[in-house]
Amino acid sequence: MKISKQQSGDIGVIIIEEKEANLSNSDEFKELILEEITSGTRKLIISFKQVEYLDSSFLGALVAILKALLPYNGKLILTDMNDDIVNLFQLTRLDKIFILHNDLENAVKEF
Amino acid sequence: MNKTLPIILHLDIPKHVDEIYSFTKTVLATIMEYKELDLAQQRRVKMIMVELVTNSIKHSTDENSSIKLAIDHPSVCIEKFEKGLKIEFSSTAQQIPFEEIDKTIKISFSEENNHHIQTLDRYKFKFLNPFVEGLSLDQIPEHFGFYIITLASDSFVYQYDPEMKENRYIVNLNL
Repeated sequence: MKISKQQSGDIGVIIIEEKEANLSNSDEFKELILEEITSGTRKLIISFKQVEYLDSSFLGALVAILKALLPYNGKLILTDMNDDIVNLFQLTRLDKIFILHNDLENAVKEF
Repeated sequence: MNKTLPIILHLDIPKHVDEIYSFTKTVLATIMEYKELDLAQQRRVKMIMVELVTNSIKHSTDENSSIKLAIDHPSVCIEKFEKGLKIEFSSTAQQIPFEEIDKTIKISFSEENNHHIQTLDRYKFKFLNPFVEGLSLDQIPEHFGFYIITLASDSFVYQYDPEMKENRYIVNLNL
């Protein structure tokens, strides 16, 4: 799973460097982000700028990450999703549960 | 777009995760040879195909899983065939074969994978809209495959053929 990490103050920014966010990398991604949370990150942004499609397995991983942040009053923002991915969140009504932003700059301002 | 309908196509399901999205796009392109689809309709087809194939790669041991694509007007039917044992539910009183027909029951595949279904016959049921009870983070699942297919389609039916020992997932779309 190729990701890159940036730090903006106390905000951890994770950029997914894959075209496909699916069954093949969802478990590894979840573990990577859960490690970030365990090591103290409470404010997280995940950028999907390079992701072409996302499947149910990856959606499940994102739900698990959001649930893991809850006990710490953490916050997760998802950014740079293409129309297909936004549509998937709308269809599953997860757009009501997750915070979605168009771009990284606006996401950082949300904290 | 003047080709005669219906068209029936039989497709082998890819064996590897990396092939899912290209397979999905190929299926969509095939449908669009016969029907004009807007962006929303294209997305529905892609989501359903991705989840049907992902489900096979994740759960099926049948090397010969296949899809039958029936393109007609106004419907497109996507049927997935898999040999093997029937679906089994956890934490539920009823299993296939059902004793009560035309009943709505709650089933689960795991603690975080619950569904409402309508029994259609002893070996057949229809997935129902999952969001009748609302949505909260505590209750939302971490398994979305069947939810997505249910929401993106006009009907999603599961059927088991005990004689052929075959699972059939039948998705209908009005496009």
